[in-house]
Amino acid sequence: MTPEFTVRLAWRNIWRQKRRTLITAGAIAVALLLSLVMRSMQEGSYSHNLDNATRFYSGYLQLQDSGFAENQSIDKLLPADQAFVERIRSIRGVTIAVPRLESFALGAAGDRSKGVMVMGVAPQAEDAYSGLAERVLKGRYFTSEDEKAVLVGGKLAEYFSLRVGDEFVLYGQGYHGTTAAGLYRVAGIIHFPNQQIDARIVYLPLKTAQALYQTGNQVSAWVLHGNAVKEIPALEKSARKQMGKDVNVRDWADISPELAQQIGLDRASGMFMILVLYGVVGFGLFATIAMMTLERRREFAVMLATGMGRAKLQVLVVLESLFIALTGVIMGLVLAFPILLWFYYHPIQLTGNLAETFEEMGFEAIMPFSLAPELFAGQILIVLTLLVICSLYPVARIFKLEVAAGLKGNL
Amino acid sequence: MSIQIENLTKIYNPDTDFPVTAVNHVDLQVEQDEFVAVMGPSGSGKTTLLNMMGGIDRPCEGTVIIDGTDITQLTDKELIGFRRDSIGFIFQDFSLLPVLTALENVEFVMQLQGKSRTECEARAVELLNDVGLGDRLSNVPGKLSGGQQQRVAVARALAPKPKFVLADEPTANLDAQTTYGLLDIMQQLNEKEGTTFIFSTHDPRVIERARRVIVFEDGKVAEDRVARAQKPEDRTL
Ligand SMILES: Nc1ncnc2c1ncn2[C@@H]1O[C@H](COP(=O)(O)OP(=O)(O)OP(=O)(O)O)[C@@H](O)[C@H]1O
Ligand SMILES: [Mg+2]
Repeated sequence: MTPEFTVRLAWRNIWRQKRRTLITAGAIAVALLLSLVMRSMQEGSYSHNLDNATRFYSGYLQLQDSGFAENQSIDKLLPADQAFVERIRSIRGVTIAVPRLESFALGAAGDRSKGVMVMGVAPQAEDAYSGLAERVLKGRYFTSEDEKAVLVGGKLAEYFSLRVGDEFVLYGQGYHGTTAAGLYRVAGIIHFPNQQIDARIVYLPLKTAQALYQTGNQVSAWVLHGNAVKEIPALEKSARKQMGKDVNVRDWADISPELAQQIGLDRASGMFMILVLYGVVGFGLFATIAMMTLERRREFAVMLATGMGRAKLQVLVVLESLFIALTGVIMGLVLAFPILLWFYYHPIQLTGNLAETFEEMGFEAIMPFSLAPELFAGQILIVLTLLVICSLYPVARIFKLEVAAGLKGNL
Repeated sequence: MSIQIENLTKIYNPDTDFPVTAVNHVDLQVEQDEFVAVMGPSGSGKTTLLNMMGGIDRPCEGTVIIDGTDITQLTDKELIGFRRDSIGFIFQDFSLLPVLTALENVEFVMQLQGKSRTECEARAVELLNDVGLGDRLSNVPGKLSGGQQQRVAVARALAPKPKFVLADEPTANLDAQTTYGLLDIMQQLNEKEGTTFIFSTHDPRVIERARRVIVFEDGKVAEDRVARAQKPEDRTL
């Protein structure tokens, strides 16, 4: 039998029960549509918002001294000299690299004191990267020349009743057992959406922080950014290769495990819904294929009697199932694509509580859609997997069908 | 072409308390060109006999030798090829594929044989002309009468040039007029193509046309007589 004849026969067979085929294909189409919209929205917002969120804190990647991650010791630092910067530049895919010196200190003002998180940043580069200046609520942003300027989080300022221009003392342990102490003046009060950070953060110009901790020209981390979130693994690989063993390359998920977990949970709940959806659709597909097999027992027996090989008959019924599934997939894609395309160019703007929650996580309150080919491939793969599982039934039935018994009647 | 049946036996449910001997130590010989009717009461074993002759069912005992090959010894796979190339089947309920046109139904087995498209089509058109359906080539079975469907089935059975055609009660679903028309066609093809026809039937109209009648009772040949061959012209209606 020519392949063309088989294809023609299979295609016509599925339209013998037009309504049943349409309902089954329609169910696949709807499942595909819903899953695609949901997954596109999820992945779209992950990659878009992750780009924003990582800018604010972790970066795509950070380079740290191999001992720093363990207890954030001020003794485990990386150089910030020109030679080191050149090495960073040689990492393929790096678009931005900003230095930070992060450590702890005891903050004090008036008669109150509290443990704070000190972040030394290069004022201009940091602002260009994370938009820090925009977060200044009161007062002003600082420059490299502001030797004694600090920016403090809004909640922290409340705790100390600090106002712009007030004095603020930092006290702690410096490089290799030295004592770190300094008197500063509040240049500005900044707002952090994350309340925990807002209650602890103190920004210093990098040089000021280096002077406080007496580290010389060293930093605790180089924060790296690249072109797109999906390129992070490649970037990480290149960084590892370039920087060697002494430098620890950590990705955003390692540095912000809560964020990674949040995304992981969200993604898993999406996957679970899809699983349920396709489970239901899979049963529908199975019912249709099983009916197509059972009601045609005699027809199959006739075909076997007249000399059609079992394998050829199995190919025919698998092809029929495939055509139903593909009809569903094509219907689903035709429905989904314009919707995804629209939202890709017109992301949903979130409002109200949801918007606030997003912003607190450092996300922008929009939900852009993704058109990544992997999303489509993934959904089509799920449908084809269902098809393969469902097809096992007719394949087995045909394998076992006794021609004489099959010819006799319906069961 | 010859079919030689020796000691052929089929027992259903042999190991139970109620074994049924459907075909009981049958010896039979059918030669080229014959037009044979197997008649007998319901349950006498006609279908079982035909199925074993056609390699659809396996006997418990005995041999079916077709042109020197004992088909009871063939594997399932070999049997499928044997049925495809050597036997044409006609069923009581026509059993055409509902989604294929008359032409495609007739081409079907030739397609399975791997014959070229032009060859399939030429032969199918010729046969459909022979059975008087030259103007119904592109009708699907649903748009044909029962008699027309059975004529398509006859054409389908003959298309792969089989050694013989097995027809289990081919006229049971047809009225008198249609039955005679179909028998005329089968007789003509029997002569034209030299293909052996073996029927099972209860139908006296079929029996009156047969050149040989085998009477089957309780799984045994009760009578095997050569009837006077009747020409279509002198049939009684
Ligand atoms: N699969 C089976 N299992 C058990 N017994 C069977 C089976 N098939 C047929 N029989 C029995 O074998 C005997 C012969 O059956 P068969 O179908 O060959 O008769 P038949 O002559 O074709 O009858 P009819 O004219 O009604 O078609 C019957 O008694 C029937 O009940
Ligand atoms: Mg019968």
